[in-house]
Amino acid sequence: MKNTLLSLNEATRTVNSGSNKVYLLDQINLNVEEGEFISLMGPSGSGKSTLLNCIGMLDHFTDGGYTFLGEPVHSMKEKNRSKLYKEYIGFVFQAYHLIDELTVYENIETPLLYKNVKSSERKAMVADMLDRFNIVGKKDLFPIQLSGGQQQLVGIARALIGQPKLILADEPTGNLNSKQSKDIMELFAELNKEGVTIIQATHSESNAAYGSRIINLLDGKIV
Amino acid sequence: MILNYIKIAFRTLRKNKGYSFLNIFGLAIGITCASLIFLWVEDELSFNSEFEKQDQVYYVPTHQEYDGEWRTFNSTPGPFAEAMKTEIPGIVRASRTKHRDFLFAVNDNAINSGGRFVDEDFIEIFSLKFVEGNAKDAFKNPEAIVITKATAEQLYGENTKVLGKVLTIDNKDQYLITGVIENFPKNVTFPINWIAPFERWSNDKEWTNEYGSFFADTFVALSPEADFNAVDAQVRYLLEKKTGDSDSKAFLHSIKDWHLRNHFENGKQVGGRIASVRLFTIIALIILLIACINFMNLSTARSEKRANEVGVRKAMGSGRTRLIFQFISEALILAFMATTVSVLLLFILLPQFNLLIEKDLVLGLEKPLHMVFLLGITLVCGIFAGLYPAFYLSSFKPVEVLKGLKVTQGSANYIRKGLVVGQFTISIVFIICTILVYQQLQHIKNRDLGFDKDQLISLNVNGTMIEKFDVIKEDLIHTGAVSSVGLNNSGILNGGNNGSNLTWTGGTNTEDVLIFFRYVSSDFLETAGMEIVEGRGFYENMAKDSASVLITESFAKLMGQGSAIGKKIDRGDVYTVVGVVKDYLFDDMYGQSDPVLFFNYHGEASYMYLKTNPKIGTSDVLSKIEAVMKKHNPAFPFEYSFVDDAFNAKFKSEQLVGKLSQLFALLAILISCLGLFGLAAYTAEQRSKEIGVRKVLGASVAGIVKLLSKDFLILVGLAIVIAIPMAWYVMDNWLGNYAYRIEINWWIFVIAGVVAIVIAMVTVSFQAVKAALANPVDSLKTE
Repeated sequence: MKNTLLSLNEATRTVNSGSNKVYLLDQINLNVEEGEFISLMGPSGSGKSTLLNCIGMLDHFTDGGYTFLGEPVHSMKEKNRSKLYKEYIGFVFQAYHLIDELTVYENIETPLLYKNVKSSERKAMVADMLDRFNIVGKKDLFPIQLSGGQQQLVGIARALIGQPKLILADEPTGNLNSKQSKDIMELFAELNKEGVTIIQATHSESNAAYGSRIINLLDGKIV
Repeated sequence: MILNYIKIAFRTLRKNKGYSFLNIFGLAIGITCASLIFLWVEDELSFNSEFEKQDQVYYVPTHQEYDGEWRTFNSTPGPFAEAMKTEIPGIVRASRTKHRDFLFAVNDNAINSGGRFVDEDFIEIFSLKFVEGNAKDAFKNPEAIVITKATAEQLYGENTKVLGKVLTIDNKDQYLITGVIENFPKNVTFPINWIAPFERWSNDKEWTNEYGSFFADTFVALSPEADFNAVDAQVRYLLEKKTGDSDSKAFLHSIKDWHLRNHFENGKQVGGRIASVRLFTIIALIILLIACINFMNLSTARSEKRANEVGVRKAMGSGRTRLIFQFISEALILAFMATTVSVLLLFILLPQFNLLIEKDLVLGLEKPLHMVFLLGITLVCGIFAGLYPAFYLSSFKPVEVLKGLKVTQGSANYIRKGLVVGQFTISIVFIICTILVYQQLQHIKNRDLGFDKDQLISLNVNGTMIEKFDVIKEDLIHTGAVSSVGLNNSGILNGGNNGSNLTWTGGTNTEDVLIFFRYVSSDFLETAGMEIVEGRGFYENMAKDSASVLITESFAKLMGQGSAIGKKIDRGDVYTVVGVVKDYLFDDMYGQSDPVLFFNYHGEASYMYLKTNPKIGTSDVLSKIEAVMKKHNPAFPFEYSFVDDAFNAKFKSEQLVGKLSQLFALLAILISCLGLFGLAAYTAEQRSKEIGVRKVLGASVAGIVKLLSKDFLILVGLAIVIAIPMAWYVMDNWLGNYAYRIEINWWIFVIAGVVAIVIAMVTVSFQAVKAALANPVDSLKTE
């Protein structure tokens, strides 16, 4: 019996453009169970990123219900929401979004700082992660000294360091070549096998195929 | 966490060297300025504050009424000190003092040294500490003198016991050294190198015991539990009672206030140097403000660069508070570096600053107060300058910045523009003030004084100069270096001897106007270049003029209608007016010429004036005069001063204001330009794509430079519009302090405006040209 990780109930996101209300997401109903690997597909502007951001709590639905691990996110205070996503969610971005001024090691360490993990513990966790991704030798390099694939690897390592239940990946391979893409997607598949729930947004059919479920979006609606 | 912030702060700084330089350097200049002013203010405030009983020690000046107006003088009658001590319960110590310059000579070692004849209480009042001898016995011997340690060392060398030695003074009087005291503090209004019993000076002067002569500087010490107001009231009343006259009132003036609050107008305390102290404190704050504005502007302008980091950190779980904390820590680190730089700058600049303000300030980093000041200024600057950028940067929404959307800078843009306008407004106000202060100073200096201060040398009369005056004069003129020599009982620039008890033909001094008396030699008027407008000058034989006087025009006016020549003036003896001299200025160079009465008598002269030949070089002139003086007055060292130097010295505080306002105007503009330069750089960078597109579409370099510069010039223009009324208001107020003043001309505003625009244009166009010349391919490719 799998546990429900999150569920959306007629979740809607609108923005006001001039006097018009534009629906970025229109009454989305979605149940995500722990251990799933979901691929969001759809053309540009269909609402994939918005959905990911809203699920990740960087953004918020303007209407409808959002429950995460049984807790009603939509009626939560900002502080509690922040606590929730700090604890359970990791992000992977298309443009990697590593902090240029920090080394690989420090980039990976950053989420732990915000979770107030003790120094000795942090060291051990980051070392484990470097080891696991085979980037120990690169720990003192700065992002600019790495290839795109390596940067995304660091990005994933950073997303995983907080031991999240859910990884949200917005076109994680969008800036990579096909070889690098394949490596990254295989890594995701492996992580998924270890029990991490993954939701990725992608344009690529082949990347989508790694997932256990494909959801197609068009104009903010699931089709 | 903090370590992480520090690390990232340093890396950000290193990565943006230009930006970091502008920021740190701008702030460093601001902190340096503020520190210099702090040191100066500290010095000013510390005057007369190094005495043990500083809170109980008072100086006793007098208000005297003349012509319906109260004037304030430093002097009191001789017996008043003793009277206060015996009749007013709160006053436990009182001392008359009289300042004198002594010539000490020990073997070949002769020095001129100022000190005071004092009553024994003086030692208690100022808690003088004895190195040799003791306070109890110091004044037992009527021929005693107590000298400071420094004077003892100067005369006898270090580590010599001097107690009991006999010291010859002015080559005639013998004094017995009965004590050596610790050196007097440096920053006092009345520096002394020696003290001697008052009677030694006053014994042969019967008039010093009368209430009619105001001559002594009097100090008193109150008992610690005395009520100041009660004692002060009694002091005021006591002098009236003693003199039987209601037009002179003594009062207590704290020695701590003496230096900073010594201006009196009509019997009321109206400030003094404290005004300059306040003014410069405000200026220091303003300059710091400008420097902090720079910091805010540069930080928010480059926000796009930091936006991504903010987004990522928020996505990683950072709350806003942590980001604010991070950015403020960064600002603090920058401020700390700026302080470090400014300490270096202070080391380099302090000697120059000391030259400029003629003080001897030391950095004194070991003093806790100085460390607290530096630390405090660092914290305040860091937090103040970092607060706005921190709140602004931390407000970015991660979704927007991570998507790579342009950060909407609406409000920040306006605030930034507002800050630039603010900076330039201040700078322009500074420019205008600087010009006006300079003009006013020149205006007063070029005022027609009624005499010619140039090529005029003043010597203090001592030794045999009066007895041998005729030969000295002859020899001096014989050298060809001097064209005329005259004697005067008071300094030509000073107020000096005065009174109001006169009657004259057809009237008395009913208005009670203060008349100044001058006892001069016959050729003094010619020497000083004064003009006789009516009648004759003095005869060379002063016996023939023993009943003749000259008066100035303002005196003649006082005597009423018709020519003053031949009118009689009664001052106990009756004199006949034989000539009228053009009014001349003395004492207050900003005021009116007070009436003067000249007598042809030089037996009591204190100053000898020499008009020198302009065709002969100064050093030549001086060596020729010295040779003559050595010949006729060999016992005294040749010491001289130039009247125009003394004249300039009268404007010391104005000149200080002038010099400092120039300095600070320059720095304010420099800091503002650093900020503008940085802003222009970032604007150019931000708009690089736009510039690229425009160039591809065929825009000219000139067109693009204009496009980029225009916005900034509008801001400077706005600053000019705001600055002009502000500067006008401030300077009109300042000029209001002077009776003899310039009018504010409109062209000064034009000059200041043009200067500001030119400076801004040069600063901005450098960046604009650079951006305009860039290859559009590069800028378009990076997008």
